[in-house]
Amino acid sequence: MSDGPRIITAHWGDERVIPYEGYVRVGGYEGLRRALAMSPEEVIAEVKASGLRGRGGAGFPTGVKWSFVPQDTGKPTYVVCNFDESEPGTFNNRELVEREPHQVLEGIAIAAYAIRSNLAFIYCRGEFLWPGSVLRRALEEAYEHGVLGERVLGTDHRLDVVLHRGAGAYICGEETALLSSLEGYRGQPRQRPPFPAIEGLYASPTVINNVETLCFVPHILRNGASWFTSIGTERSPGTKVFSISGKVERPGNYELPMGTPFRVLLEEHAGGVLGGRALKAWTPGGSSTPMLTAEHLDVALDFESVQQAGSMLGTGAVMVMDETDCMVEAVRRMVRFYAHESCGKCTPCREGTWWVSRVLDRIEAGYGRPEDLPLLEDLVPNLLFRGFCPLLDGAVSPVASGLRHFREEFERHIEERRCPFTGRGSATGVAEPPAPPAPQEPAPGPVPLSEVLG
Amino acid sequence: MSREPVTLTIDGREITVPAGTLVIRAAERLGIEIPRFCDHPFLAPAGACRQCYVEIEGQAKLVTSCTTRVAPDMAVRTQVTSELVRRAQAANLEFLLLNHPLDCPVCDRGGECPLQDQALAFGPGESRYIEPKRTYRKPIPLSPLVNLDRERCVLCARCTRFCDEISGDRFIELYDRGAGERVSIAAGEDFRSPFSGNTIQICPVGALTATPYRFVARPFDLSSTDSTCAHCAAGCAIRVDVRRGKVVRVLARDDVEVNDAWICDKGRFAFAAPDRPERVTTPLVRARGLEPASFQEVLGEIAARCRGGRVGILVGGRLADEDAYALSKLARTVLGTNDLDHRRAFHGGRAELLAAARPMSVTYRDVEEAAAILVVGLDAEQELPILHLRIRKAARRGARVFVLHARRTRLHDLGEHLLVRPGHEAFALERIREALAAGGDGPEARIAAALAEAGERAVVLAGPRLAEHPLAADVALGLAERVGARFALCARRAGDRGALRAGVHPTLLPGGRRVTDDVERGQVEAVWGPIPAEPGRDAMGILRAAAGRELDVLYLVGVDPLRDLPDPALARRALANAGYTVIQGLELGELEPYADAFLPAAAAAERDGRVTTWEGRPRPLRAARAPLGLSRPDWEIFVGLAEALGADLGLGSLEAIRAEAEPLLAPREVPVRSSAWGAAGPPQWIEERVLFTYPLLVDEGRLLEGATELKAALEEEPFAEIHREDAEALGVADGGWVRVRTSAGDAVVRARVGETVAPGAVFVPFNQPGLPVAELLAGRFTVGVHLEPAAEPAAEEVA
Repeated sequence: MSDGPRIITAHWGDERVIPYEGYVRVGGYEGLRRALAMSPEEVIAEVKASGLRGRGGAGFPTGVKWSFVPQDTGKPTYVVCNFDESEPGTFNNRELVEREPHQVLEGIAIAAYAIRSNLAFIYCRGEFLWPGSVLRRALEEAYEHGVLGERVLGTDHRLDVVLHRGAGAYICGEETALLSSLEGYRGQPRQRPPFPAIEGLYASPTVINNVETLCFVPHILRNGASWFTSIGTERSPGTKVFSISGKVERPGNYELPMGTPFRVLLEEHAGGVLGGRALKAWTPGGSSTPMLTAEHLDVALDFESVQQAGSMLGTGAVMVMDETDCMVEAVRRMVRFYAHESCGKCTPCREGTWWVSRVLDRIEAGYGRPEDLPLLEDLVPNLLFRGFCPLLDGAVSPVASGLRHFREEFERHIEERRCPFTGRGSATGVAEPPAPPAPQEPAPGPVPLSEVLG
Repeated sequence: MSREPVTLTIDGREITVPAGTLVIRAAERLGIEIPRFCDHPFLAPAGACRQCYVEIEGQAKLVTSCTTRVAPDMAVRTQVTSELVRRAQAANLEFLLLNHPLDCPVCDRGGECPLQDQALAFGPGESRYIEPKRTYRKPIPLSPLVNLDRERCVLCARCTRFCDEISGDRFIELYDRGAGERVSIAAGEDFRSPFSGNTIQICPVGALTATPYRFVARPFDLSSTDSTCAHCAAGCAIRVDVRRGKVVRVLARDDVEVNDAWICDKGRFAFAAPDRPERVTTPLVRARGLEPASFQEVLGEIAARCRGGRVGILVGGRLADEDAYALSKLARTVLGTNDLDHRRAFHGGRAELLAAARPMSVTYRDVEEAAAILVVGLDAEQELPILHLRIRKAARRGARVFVLHARRTRLHDLGEHLLVRPGHEAFALERIREALAAGGDGPEARIAAALAEAGERAVVLAGPRLAEHPLAADVALGLAERVGARFALCARRAGDRGALRAGVHPTLLPGGRRVTDDVERGQVEAVWGPIPAEPGRDAMGILRAAAGRELDVLYLVGVDPLRDLPDPALARRALANAGYTVIQGLELGELEPYADAFLPAAAAAERDGRVTTWEGRPRPLRAARAPLGLSRPDWEIFVGLAEALGADLGLGSLEAIRAEAEPLLAPREVPVRSSAWGAAGPPQWIEERVLFTYPLLVDEGRLLEGATELKAALEEEPFAEIHREDAEALGVADGGWVRVRTSAGDAVVRARVGETVAPGAVFVPFNQPGLPVAELLAGRFTVGVHLEPAAEPAAEEVA
């Protein structure tokens, strides 16, 4: 295994860094100390110079985000750490918190100092019972040791951090829905603009950063921006913690420099495809990013290269599917996730994910019709970028890329009236038709609205 | 927000609109209709339904025009010029119809349904959806008035946003998520909002339906008339829908100057009273009993009694402006009396004089744009519901709202209440006035500071409770003048302000001219001819005179003194002792044994005319159907009576009345003088416990007869609201029974104990089922009261 520089996972496996003392012993809170010795503007400038880009999916430059926060509104400013990690395939935030909880707290404290905030929130995914407890303990320690509270590390800077546990909705990872939820409202996204930097939590300027992003911040302050830019690629500096799962020998989190080829991640770190089988498909950044194939083995894992290959780096959550995996079933499951997690606010997402999910259920069960594929292909552009928030785009990605790369698998399901991988389907009588009641055979043709409306 | 104009193009056409305008609104100005469901001009943008996509040059994605604000040189393409937009809108309609039941043939909305219309205009024509549809149990009654059909619902959230943003009555909320998202209400709770009907009207599909209208009519079977709601002085623009001669539905019309797009549930659902069997639609005269006769006969008989006799006239709150003017002139010039009054309570101060002389001292817009609002002696939600909504709107826009009242009102969530005992308002107002100079940190000082800071953007709204003390309204007026605030004395009933303006008043002639002032009376005499110079008797004075056999004719126009006035015992004596009693109205009710003649009047929905809002704004009444039977508009009856007496009022048409009245009702300056004009002395500090009462929005009032579902939804059982301190002192428990005894009578009602009334005050709603509170009153709407815990009464005792 060729080890590159590890930054935020350097101490993984060493349980001594979980408590405060151990974290300090390996240099913890040095970054915060450095930051407090600087002016907030200098801190922002340093993070800007590092080129750090948000690891939550969109890749927006972190320092630039911080610099958007106005200081003259007469309102308080807030930092919100997004720890609602729920994207299928994504699991690096959880491990970052479990293995070194003070690292993210230090990042939060630096961000808060940079935007002159005295109150920060951690929005913790509801299902994360254990990581939430680890954070709770770390917060207690941080207060005990004067890292948080009235005088942060003995300075005049005051900071309180509130841990808020979500209630189990994927949509609350979307930043405006997260803010609604944090305020006690339904977790549904809000109209932007105003952007959270201007009117976020309680209509006040707010910075929202992902756990992984914040973990990098102490290291940038400790080692300097130019150190950070020396790692990774020019436009995607630093490292990235890739969560690789699915059909690989060694699933897990691997911190590698941005721009590392997927082949290196898969073969050198994850031990290759499980059982030496052939790679069929992989997602570069969670289920919401379009799938790539074995043709894309040499794509470099950075924001630009993945985009050029027709997908998105997203959260860097790589899910690997091999030659034995049914792509219809894979797409069906991913879409079902989004249909389940759609918040219901906007029509295309609420109804569209439901519809697509139903059609895929039917195809997989061997009840597909030849016209279903043109239908799905027509629904893709009708859904893509039409939702209130990006959740819908994530739901469409697997459908679009599945049809693009694996259309013949869909066709076989329809022709054979069964799943070629499992053998179950209407042709064999093994699969149940999708519940509730099966579509009639032959399926009723579309009813002209004019007949119904008179 | 800057209001600089912005120029942009929509479908190649240039338009200039104020900055901040939404693209969908700008398109409307060009006559381009972009389909929409969640968008509503009076609700905040939601961007939820995604129907109103447009293309903006330079932007990669389509945007929703209901959330996008105009920008200079923006180039917008709607479905008119963009194939992409057309396809997107069609696709969205296909999505909306996936799970829609398409039961249009049995849906109340069919024929006037935005989903139906827009699917036809912009939709794909057919659906490719073959999967089973989502189903729900339906309909779900949210209240006795409102039913929810979740299958038809498109989840636009207009209803929930209305309850959140406009009424503040958050009974319904979206629940669950994704395709399972649905409008919901807490188990066991009713949608108990007096504005609930608005959600039905703004529902863009048939998901919310009104119980009284369910399956009653198809829209193309209705004949519709634009009119004004005459239930209160809010003056809401309404549309009255008639099917086969019966009113079956009332809808709000948009009017930004008055009701925005809303009406209250009383205005919407209380329309059945004129069709009740108790309605009398022929003139009656007493022979052996009350017997039908022609108008000519009855008017002739009445004229014979009036000729040379002493006549006293009591008037209710529902006369149209023209009726009031004709009556005012009839009384003075033909019947020769100033003994006429429309009021339930005495004002008689300078505030009343100003209200008579100067309309529009405060408008809805002034309220909306105010920086500080002081509401005194008014329960706006119950008495002028649409004014209440405008005060809420102002509060949402940043106005500071204060309520000085004996009882907490529904403004409590966004305004500060200062609870004072009824009758003590004047003292509290004085303390506010003192705090203007002295400062301090109590509620009075906060009110003073807010009013002073707002200056001319401050509004003082004085309500009916101040009528209990002659000086209270004048003190409120004095406070307003001191800080430069706008001031209005808010009339509650639809006919109140018009009657006051027209001089249906013992001492005021049209335009607030005083009978006793020779110059002012002369101005009216120049038009009318001679007018008696003696001031007349007020309502209670007229009853006393009748009771004392001083009146030959007691003429009751749209009023029931047994129910409406605060001394039924006196009213009974008056009716018994009056020489001759004439009833004019829709029905006789309990007055039947006393009536010597009955004149059938047309209901508000049956005649043309005008009513005046609490602001003083004239609003048109239009006949939605012909008067039932022989009934006629009141003014015609007055003109007929004058003719029977050999006089010509010169008021042969509504136009003639308006032409004559207009110069007399032109706004006048009223000389500033001390409040000594009032007959009574300064208010008294009251030590004893006081019962006070006023009508809630939905009660046993005559115009609410027949509105079964409305009453089921909103009417309350009688109760006595008592402050916790008093209840503890007396040993009365919340929900327990309490005996309420006054000098006039006693009753046993359920106690509501809390901190929602001022200590020392007991509130009993005026006219609730089974408890005619008037029987406890002794000439005013407040009365000293003795309370004691009581056993649960036997059924007949409650009734």
